[in-house]
Amino acid sequence: MVEAPMLAARGVVQAFGRLRAVDGADLDVASGEIVGLIGPNGAGKSTFFNALAGDRIPTAGQICFEGRDITRLRPASHARLGIARTFQVPVTFEDMTVAENVLVGAFLRHPRRVDAARAAAEVLAFTGLDAFARAPARRLGTPGRKRLEIARALATAPRLLLLDEALAGLNPAEVQAAIGLLRRIHARGIALVIVEHIMEVILTLADRAVVFHQGRVIAAGPPREVVEDPGVVAAYLGRSLSRRRAG
Amino acid sequence: MRRAPIAALLLLAAASIVWPMLVDNVFYQRVGALVLLAAISASAWNLIGGYAGQVSIGHAIFFGAGAYSSLLCFTDFGWPPIAGAPVGVAVSLLLAFLIGTPTFRLRGHYFSMATIAAAELVRILVTTIKPLGGGVGLMGPATPRSVADLSFRSPLPYYYIFLGVLAVLLGLTWAMERSRLGYYLRAVSGGERAAQSLGVGVLPTKLAALLLSAAFTAIAGSLYAVMVGFADPNSVLGILVSVKMVIMAALGGAGTLFGPLLGAVILVPLEEWTNDVFGGSGTGITYVIYGAIILLIARFQPGGLLAIWYRRQARRAA
Repeated sequence: MVEAPMLAARGVVQAFGRLRAVDGADLDVASGEIVGLIGPNGAGKSTFFNALAGDRIPTAGQICFEGRDITRLRPASHARLGIARTFQVPVTFEDMTVAENVLVGAFLRHPRRVDAARAAAEVLAFTGLDAFARAPARRLGTPGRKRLEIARALATAPRLLLLDEALAGLNPAEVQAAIGLLRRIHARGIALVIVEHIMEVILTLADRAVVFHQGRVIAAGPPREVVEDPGVVAAYLGRSLSRRRAG
Repeated sequence: MRRAPIAALLLLAAASIVWPMLVDNVFYQRVGALVLLAAISASAWNLIGGYAGQVSIGHAIFFGAGAYSSLLCFTDFGWPPIAGAPVGVAVSLLLAFLIGTPTFRLRGHYFSMATIAAAELVRILVTTIKPLGGGVGLMGPATPRSVADLSFRSPLPYYYIFLGVLAVLLGLTWAMERSRLGYYLRAVSGGERAAQSLGVGVLPTKLAALLLSAAFTAIAGSLYAVMVGFADPNSVLGILVSVKMVIMAALGGAGTLFGPLLGAVILVPLEEWTNDVFGGSGTGITYVIYGAIILLIARFQPGGLLAIWYRRQARRAA
C-alpha cells in the first residue's frame, strides 16, 4: 500500500465573483518531497498556494495535512501544525533586527526566551544570516529579505515549507546560493512546495513538477518530462507556436 | 537592542526619588506628581498603542472607568476611593474585552476611529446616567476620614504613590518587552499577515496587550480621582484624555520603555506653564500647542524623541 500523502488537496476551487482563479485543482505532496508549482502568469498557482497556506479559505474542495482537514483553518494554525511559508513580496518585520525576526518564529516551539534564542541562533547559522544578526531587517536587500523569510519560517520547525517565488529577483550567483540552501533544508527532511518562474530551479530541485493553466492542473510528473509535454508547451508558448513545432 | 545603560537608569531612579525633597515649592511638587500620573496612563497606552501599533484614541473609557469606580465606591458604599481601584480594573477589563473583540478586526485608521466612537459613546451615555452624577459628576470625601482616604494637602505623598505604580508598570513593560508576548506584539505591529504565518494568534495577542493596558489605565484613573477628588464626563472621559496619552507616548517614542515618560516630562509642565501664563484663556493655547506637536512629530520624527537616541546608539554599535 502506498503511504498516505503528507499534504493532499482535492478539487480546490477559489472563485472571485465569476472568475474561478483556481478551478478544481488537486495536489499531493509526500513527506520529504520537493514539488514545483509552475505555470504562466495568471495560471492560479499563487492563489492555490495561498489556499494551501490558509491565507484564503477555498470556495470549494478540501485540503488535508497529515490526515487532518485544514481547509478552514487560519494561517496561525497551519504554522502550529508544521506548515511554514514565505511571501512573494517579502514581509519582514522592518523595525526588528534580523535575529529578532527569526526569534519571533522560534517562539512558536519555545515559549521561553532563552530556548527560543538558542533555536534562532541555530537557524541563523544554518541559513548563513548570522553575520547580519544584529542589523535591522530594513537594511537587507531583496536577497537578504528572502533569505530572512526562509530563516524565520524554518524557526517554526516546519515539516512542510511553502515557498512563493523565493528566488525571484535574485542574480544567478544568488540563485545558486539559494538553491544550495533549499537543498540543505530538504536534507533535514522538510518537504518543499515551490512556486517558481525560474525553470532552472524546478529542473534542478524538484522531484515533481505540477503545471497550472487557467486554474487547473494540466500536467504533473518528473520535471524533465513535464516541460516536454505538448500541452505544457502550448500553455506557455501559445497554441499556434506549439502547432508549428509539432508539425 | 533597545537597552538604556544601567547607570543612566539608576541615576534617573535616584533623581526621581530625591528631586521633590529638594524642591521646596508646592507648585513644582504638584507638577511632578501630575507628570508621573500622566506617565502612568501614557505608558499603559503604550502597551497596545506603541508595542502592538494599535492606535487607540479611546483609552479615556478605561481612565474614566477607574475614576468613576473609585468615586462611586465612596459615594455608594463609603469605601476609601482607592479601594474602588480593583473595581475599576475589573470594569475596564470587561469593557476592553467587549470593545476589543470587534474593533481589532479593523486596521489602521479604522481601528482608531472605532475607538474614538466607542469612547464618545460612553462619555455621552455617562452624562445621562443619574447614579453616575450625570453631567455634574461625582465627588470624593470632602475631608479625609482616615489615612486610607489618601487625601493629603501636600502633593508629595501622591508623588511617591505614583512613582511606585509607574515603577511597577515600567518593570512589567520591561519584562514584557523581553517575553514572547513582547515580540509577538511587535510582530503584529510589523505585519499581521507575516505574524500569522509564524503561528502568532493576532487577536489573542492584541487582546492580551489591551487587557494589560486597560487595567493600568484604570489604575491611573483611580489615582487621578483619589488625588483630585472629583470626576465628571469631560475631565475623565473626554476625548482629550485619550489624545494626551497618545501625544505623550508619540512625542517621547511609542513602543519604547521610557518614551511615554519622556513625553510626560515635556508636555505636562508645558501645559501647566501655559495655563499659568495665559490663565483661563490659556486652555485653548494648550491645544494649539498639542496640534503643533502632532504635526512636528509626524513630519520630522515619527519614531518620537527617543528614536534619535536609539539611532545614535545603533550607529555606534555598527
